[in-house]
Amino acid sequence: MTTNGDAPLQVVPVRHYGRWLTMALVAVAAAMLINTLLSKVPTGLEECHQVLVNGHSHQVCVSTMRWRFFWDVVGNYLFDASIFRGLWLTLELTVFAMAIGITLGVITAVMRMSPNRIVSSSAWLFTWFFRGTPVYVQILFWFNIAFLYPKIQLGLPFGPHFFTVNVLTLFTGFVAALTALGLNEGAYMSEIVRAGFKAVDEGQIEAAQALGMTRLQTMWRITLPQAMRVIIPPTGNELISMLKTSSLASAIAVTELLKSTSNIASRTFQTMQLLIVASLWYLTVTTVLSIGQFYVERHFAKGSSRSMPPTPLQRIKQDLRRLGFGNREVRS
Amino acid sequence: MTTPMVEARGISKSFGAVQVLSGVDLTVERGQVACLIGPSGSGKSTFLRCINHLEKHDAGELRVDGSLVGYRQSGNKLYELNDRQICAERSQIGMVFQRFNLFPHLTALENITIAPQRVLGKKGPETIRRAQELLERVGLSDKAESYPSQLSGGQQQRVAIARALAMDPKLMLFDEPTSALDPELVGEVLDVMRDLAKSGMTMVVVTHEMGFAREVADVAYFLDEGVVQEWGNPREMLVSPRTQRLAGFLSKVL
Repeated sequence: MTTNGDAPLQVVPVRHYGRWLTMALVAVAAAMLINTLLSKVPTGLEECHQVLVNGHSHQVCVSTMRWRFFWDVVGNYLFDASIFRGLWLTLELTVFAMAIGITLGVITAVMRMSPNRIVSSSAWLFTWFFRGTPVYVQILFWFNIAFLYPKIQLGLPFGPHFFTVNVLTLFTGFVAALTALGLNEGAYMSEIVRAGFKAVDEGQIEAAQALGMTRLQTMWRITLPQAMRVIIPPTGNELISMLKTSSLASAIAVTELLKSTSNIASRTFQTMQLLIVASLWYLTVTTVLSIGQFYVERHFAKGSSRSMPPTPLQRIKQDLRRLGFGNREVRS
Repeated sequence: MTTPMVEARGISKSFGAVQVLSGVDLTVERGQVACLIGPSGSGKSTFLRCINHLEKHDAGELRVDGSLVGYRQSGNKLYELNDRQICAERSQIGMVFQRFNLFPHLTALENITIAPQRVLGKKGPETIRRAQELLERVGLSDKAESYPSQLSGGQQQRVAIARALAMDPKLMLFDEPTSALDPELVGEVLDVMRDLAKSGMTMVVVTHEMGFAREVADVAYFLDEGVVQEWGNPREMLVSPRTQRLAGFLSKVL
């Protein structure tokens, strides 16, 4: 510390006027948002009572109010059994489609990197096709696949068949949606996995080879764990995106979350109310997934930096400490 | 007379149109330390990588411990080895890289135990004990649980040497092991290599450390433009070079 004679110099921190202004603007916007969320509006109906004043009967009418965002109706339906069934189906679709997507993605990524040209270009063709058409079209396509192939017969190529499956009964809405979402996801995951493998330094593979590890051991023990750090964040995004894309299955009468809400809405005409119900559930699941994503990323960041990033809980504790709560000495 | 540890006859290699090695002859006896010196691009690293088949040589005969690298001879035919056989050959040759190439997702200890466990199929406790011995030997017994990113360059390179030694190799290859280090960290790595040489390990070292070559090496090879220009006892060769090329090279690096 520089000194001015005997008295130590006083340090004046930089004043962040821009930050204060932004904070004020954000605070006002937040207040407006909360206000409108909790506001009430007239229903357009009136409630009238007979009131006795000085022995005379008067009619007094009051216009009734309701929540602008229908919170009471939303609350009634939020935990409805049919909504829960829809939510469960949405989760099933999401998890299974992602499982198919990740499996296909890893397989095709490894194929893309194969020295064999036929193998690598067939993987490229897969990605090209399923990434090149809208997933909505693919869902409709698989739902109607029976027009092209009424029957699937298992047997030798060009030879005798062993047994036959009726495609119309096999490709129910759920199976069609799962197939379309899974294949489409596989094409995207393929690129994500490939980028992850490419991000690993060539020297890592050489070091593993020099130790006598086989190609498979190298990939499993050395390349993949390091690639995961690059693969996990976009995969988390894909999972969250899949949760919402699965709502397209409602177009082919799969009663997932969106369809289960719109079924009620078409009966009661409470369209907005039930869209809010669906949105709240999508938001809830997304939040849970985001928290999970944070911890998985943290796990695979092991060894990549000198210190681990703090968890949100640790960060809140840190902030509180900075504001003067708790023990200051712990911070260092 | 015993078979030499490394015996190369007329090794050639080109990358596309660029001829990197043109007929390299070299012999390293058991227990010897051989230094390969030369300007960058002279092919010395490529030659080193041919010895454990990280690069495939185009022509010539390369033998390690009497057996061909990458091929099996039967009658007058050479059969290319499959992946598994090449891995078995490599597992007996240790290699240390210029950029260390430690596995960043594993601790120092795990870096050392992974290959004995996965390649040699040794038991966990046995490999951990051996890894701790090796860490002590390179002076890093307190760093077993550290990740590579938490270690200095010199410490990382010493772990890399321990990792190679854990496979009990019969031959150690060093590819410019001190070139990526800060000057003050070079000494600690050379010390470990000096001890290793004293213990009788056969070593092939690509290096720019002329002091180390003069002091430790039994034989030195000077490569330029893919050809061995001069070789012999480093204590004579590096002091009074016979060829103009070596004299020119030494005047630049010393």
